[in-house]
Amino acid sequence: MNSRLGAAVLAVVLVAYPFVDQAVGLHTVHAVSDGMIYMLLALGLNIVVGYAGLLDLGYAAFFAIGAYAMGLLNSPVLGSPLYGHAWSFWLCIWVAAAVSALLGLVIGAPTLRVRGDYLAIITLGFGEIIPVAIRNLGDVTIEIGGWRPIERLNLTGGENGVNPVGRPYLPGVPFETDPVPWYFLILIIGAASVWAMTRLRDSRLGRAWMAIREDETAADCTGVNPVSTKLLAFALGASFSGFAGSVYAAKLQAITPGAFEFQVSIMLLCMVVLGGAGSIRGVVLGAMLITVFDRVILSQTTFLVRGIGRTLGVPALVSLDLTLWRWFFFGLGLVLVMLLRPQGLAGRRVQPLAGADVDEAAALDAAPPRVEAIPRWLREQIATGPVAQADALLDVRGLTKAFGGVVALNAVDLVVPRGGIIGLIGPNGAGKTTFFNVVTGLIRPDAGRLTFAGASLVGLRPNAIVARGIARTFQSIRLFQYMTVLDNVLVGEHCRLEARVAGAVLRPPRVRAEEARARERARSLLTFVGLSGKEDELARNLPYGDQRRLEIARALATEPRLLLLDEPTAGMNPRESHTLTDLIGLLRRELSLSILLIEHDMQVVMRISDRITVLDYGTRIAEGTPTEIQRHPRVIEAYLGTGAPQEPVVPGV
Amino acid sequence: MLELADLHTYYGNIRALRGLSLSVERGEIVTLIGGNGAGKTTTLRTILGLVRPRRGSVTFNGTRVDTLATDRIVRLGVAQSPEGRHIFPRMSVLENLELGAFARRDRDGIAPDLERVLSLFPRLRERLTQKGGTLSGGEQQMLAISRALMARPELLLLDEPSMGLSPILVETIFRIIQDINRQGTTILLVEQNARMALRVAHRGYVIQTGRIVLHDAAAALLRSDLVRKTYLGEK
Repeated sequence: MNSRLGAAVLAVVLVAYPFVDQAVGLHTVHAVSDGMIYMLLALGLNIVVGYAGLLDLGYAAFFAIGAYAMGLLNSPVLGSPLYGHAWSFWLCIWVAAAVSALLGLVIGAPTLRVRGDYLAIITLGFGEIIPVAIRNLGDVTIEIGGWRPIERLNLTGGENGVNPVGRPYLPGVPFETDPVPWYFLILIIGAASVWAMTRLRDSRLGRAWMAIREDETAADCTGVNPVSTKLLAFALGASFSGFAGSVYAAKLQAITPGAFEFQVSIMLLCMVVLGGAGSIRGVVLGAMLITVFDRVILSQTTFLVRGIGRTLGVPALVSLDLTLWRWFFFGLGLVLVMLLRPQGLAGRRVQPLAGADVDEAAALDAAPPRVEAIPRWLREQIATGPVAQADALLDVRGLTKAFGGVVALNAVDLVVPRGGIIGLIGPNGAGKTTFFNVVTGLIRPDAGRLTFAGASLVGLRPNAIVARGIARTFQSIRLFQYMTVLDNVLVGEHCRLEARVAGAVLRPPRVRAEEARARERARSLLTFVGLSGKEDELARNLPYGDQRRLEIARALATEPRLLLLDEPTAGMNPRESHTLTDLIGLLRRELSLSILLIEHDMQVVMRISDRITVLDYGTRIAEGTPTEIQRHPRVIEAYLGTGAPQEPVVPGV
Repeated sequence: MLELADLHTYYGNIRALRGLSLSVERGEIVTLIGGNGAGKTTTLRTILGLVRPRRGSVTFNGTRVDTLATDRIVRLGVAQSPEGRHIFPRMSVLENLELGAFARRDRDGIAPDLERVLSLFPRLRERLTQKGGTLSGGEQQMLAISRALMARPELLLLDEPSMGLSPILVETIFRIIQDINRQGTTILLVEQNARMALRVAHRGYVIQTGRIVLHDAAAALLRSDLVRKTYLGEK
């Protein structure tokens, strides 16, 4: 209720402000409107940097593209062949956004394989290219022999820029003379953008962006397509700045290339980082602080200091101009934020939820998994899945992979039957995890066949393989650390959900129902693995054993037919291992889920596996039932050692 | 040699250690066993100064170290093989090992120690020029332990050294732990594999929710009801 009251107060203040301003005679409406345009830009950048985690240092280029798209369509100064048609301002802002989005895709495409530093450098280059291109496209002549198809074409106005630009027209609204209509126009666009972004953030797409930010490989292996997800972030981020650029051009009635230089990109990045990357509230706050500081505080302080200088008779103070120091203060502010509050002023939560004192005795006695707790939807999805019929669910023949001179996998054969649990064991470095990486598409095999439910998997991307019905966990846990427990599981459902951009923003009943169902499913999965009540905790704050269970819940959320578990009981005590083994057995028995298991705990492997394959130096050295494997001389020599459980473990769950 | 007295360590609002006290005498192997989230790793992190206790003290060889920076504590003779390995993935195996000896002053001792860890882990010798990140999980574990040994510490902190290792290697690792100890290194061992840990240790502490609940000679702990039920998985 409090937040609703706050929102109402905010709305009243925003609506009343320009009238109060005019009544008092402050004349700040123009400055505030400009500030809101920068806020809009910062929010667009937040999609790219804050959500998707892609460091973009050349974001102002998209701002420029939006502005010049408006100029090309709506300014008589430019020799644009497009000018003169009935382009109204209201149409142009959409065209400008679309052009920016398109360029976002063009820029995004080649940068998709790179991350971090490399991506930053590429966007830096792009941010430099655009202003230079704008400066030099003011006078274009193309001459082929004596033929000049294009002569002295003015595309951008060159150094002089574009002036004037067509204004919006609404009957009875004085856009020409009064700043107030501009204020409300930008306020409406800004409010709509915040609304759309909030909905995007809380959608299937927003979760996918954050998953990419947290761990791209894990996201890929959880069914999120990193290529299209990143492209979408780039394109949407760019379209917001296209809007901002076109409105900016029409409002200022003048565009100059200087308005889009590298420093603008940096200022926008400052707003995002200062407020807190990934937080809409934070970015709005950051943009407001920087704008107010830049436009009001610096100039007012300058007046004040000069006044003091005059009274005291100090000439150095009289001639001081603090606005020339603005970059000094921005830089200083950024340094201080990074030192004192690296997550930003209103940044993401990193601390554990308060009061989450874990009762360890209770945790140790964690209830064993129960048949009734298996979510019914999971049972239905998996039992009626399209691949329920195949006998050999996964059929691997002659799989070979070499890294340089090291043969990691050498003609390995392995079959996982439907509903079977197959153990994969072997000395450290034998190629077990490499085998998983090949099956899940992270590594392409050099040779061999990989057939899942009758269709080849070779050449498919990891997320496509997840969609086919193979899910995995990782040896060293790879959760989306700064996402909540619930969101981690929801990312698992990503490939089974359908909401796209329009659906995520507009939320038609179909999308609402899908999202509600997804949440319900995620909660039931968490209850099943014993994590109910921890939905809103950040994954990184869970104790180790819970993180392992969460990884399994996330894998199950993809509705797999085959589950690859890489040392699921590593780091667990015997009791926890036992509970987890029960859980694995239950999944097989009740869901006829097939499981391929890498595990060093022989108590677990021998107890639960139908058959075991042993790898050593990438080669299969043995295959058989647990009893056969325990007696196999080569396995004892290479792997088990003589101290292995002497009393034979009775197999069968 | 090492004395922890009434340690209270917090992560934000979460109380990870609630008045934990334990001691390690020179020449001992002491093991700290407990469930996930009990505070084992936090104890090691507090000893090394990676997190600061709100209350209590850490004394090493008579010196209060709970206010010192981590690198200073390492120079005093404490080294750790961290859980989750934390090797340097883009440096070669050899470079990883050499970095382990970074804080040492006795340059002449380094080469024999390198030879010693490579004979303990012949697998690493095969991979000396490979990048750390290309090693398998178990091999990285061997590298992390070896790197800690290269510091020739007086006190070695081992966090789950058997994690992710094949059964034959688990045996080897525990044999190596005993060897290292006989050669004069004191060891504080954190393990989930309580059975193996208690077999090699002299004394053991059982930690639950940030407190020591049981403390005895290792052989006695192996026979105690609490340990057998909770940590050895016996019914």
